[in-house]
Amino acid sequence: MRNLIAFFRRFRIFLIFVVLQILALSTYFTFLQYPRAQYLTTAGAIQGKIMETEYELTKHFNLARTNDLLQKENIKLRERDPQSFRRLQHNLVRIEDTLYKQQYQYLPATVLNSTVTKRNNYFTLNIGSVNGIKRGMGVFSDKGVVGIIHNVSPHFSVVKSVLTENINIDVMMEDLGLFGLLKWDGRDPRRGSISGITNDVKIKKWTKVVTRGGAGIFPRGLPVGVVEKTKAVEGKPLWDVVLLFSEDYRSLQRVYVIKNLMKEEQNKLESQIPVDKEE
Amino acid sequence: MNTFLKYSLRFIALMFIQTLILNQLELGWGIQLMVYPLLLVLLPFDIDTIPLMGIAFLLGFGIDAMSNTYGLHTSSIVLLAYMRPIIYKMYAPRDGYENFADGNIYEMGTRWFVFVYGSMLIIHHLWFFTMEIFRITDFFFIMQKTLLSLPLSFILSLLVQALFVAKPKER
Repeated sequence: MRNLIAFFRRFRIFLIFVVLQILALSTYFTFLQYPRAQYLTTAGAIQGKIMETEYELTKHFNLARTNDLLQKENIKLRERDPQSFRRLQHNLVRIEDTLYKQQYQYLPATVLNSTVTKRNNYFTLNIGSVNGIKRGMGVFSDKGVVGIIHNVSPHFSVVKSVLTENINIDVMMEDLGLFGLLKWDGRDPRRGSISGITNDVKIKKWTKVVTRGGAGIFPRGLPVGVVEKTKAVEGKPLWDVVLLFSEDYRSLQRVYVIKNLMKEEQNKLESQIPVDKEE
Repeated sequence: MNTFLKYSLRFIALMFIQTLILNQLELGWGIQLMVYPLLLVLLPFDIDTIPLMGIAFLLGFGIDAMSNTYGLHTSSIVLLAYMRPIIYKMYAPRDGYENFADGNIYEMGTRWFVFVYGSMLIIHHLWFFTMEIFRITDFFFIMQKTLLSLPLSFILSLLVQALFVAKPKER
């Protein structure tokens, strides 16, 4: 017993060091997958306030560009407004349309804080669970997908962006219909890659890549980027497709959060698929 | 000035410089500027390793909570706090550290500062980027990030010191 106490006294600095390291590194490696507490992220109340103040100070730097983008989007929407169409037939009876039912709703949000050079990059948004945000909702901007909501507090939320290691959004080539998973290697915030595409199909340069919408997080057909080049994966019949993102995440400000009104229904149906049991 | 107040102010100033300015800068090529290890040099020489690691843990935790890194900064700064006495012993001046308050560049001289703070930054950056990427196949990427960020962080630390540390009067 005395020896044990002597041992602890002798190595107490090292032991405390080891304890602190384990504490820090275990939070780091578990948080990448499963966020637990909000006070550790920028979704926390204090941090959120600080980020908001900072955003208030710096938001004007990109104002001209942001306004441009909003105007373009407005034009696009205005063109679809009934006022921009000329009526060709006057004696039609208006009926309630039951062919279409709304599946996706969009909530506008502002990016308060973002990084692009780290291995795993997270964006902080200025809306939270009070506004109806939940973990796992999709986020996109007018030019492309942005990420998936990772952690939510009452007034803020943190997005796990496309620029993280395990983002795995299911995407497809627009006209070929091939699909794979979106990956990011941590180097260039302009480029990502798609894994799981078989190399028996020729893929043209600048083929458009869009979301597949399989998991019900994103609607089908949201732009992701274009194919820049294809490389063969050694020893496997697969292409490693290099993708140029259509959104420049370095200057991202306005985004939309996607609320899927039929997600419950899809999950319920898919949960009835019997799980393959290991023999 | 009250000593405790002085060191607390350095703590807060470095934390906010790191989170609100430097972590927002995206320079590309994997460069990430980090000046907060400077706090360890700017703390007094007679502080013990265990309280030092405690302070380092708090600083890292504050930075992590504001930049979504969940413990990465904490881990590297605690490692550095543990290494500080070892590095100090390696570069100890002939008469020891008894006549000095803390290791700022004006008090200890340029040569000592370059050696001590330089080796501290190397350890810190290497550990930080290794833990961040955590893949052997990306060894060269880790090296690229470390070697590009190191000189810039060092120069920036000198500037921060010029801003926040008062030059002692001529004796």
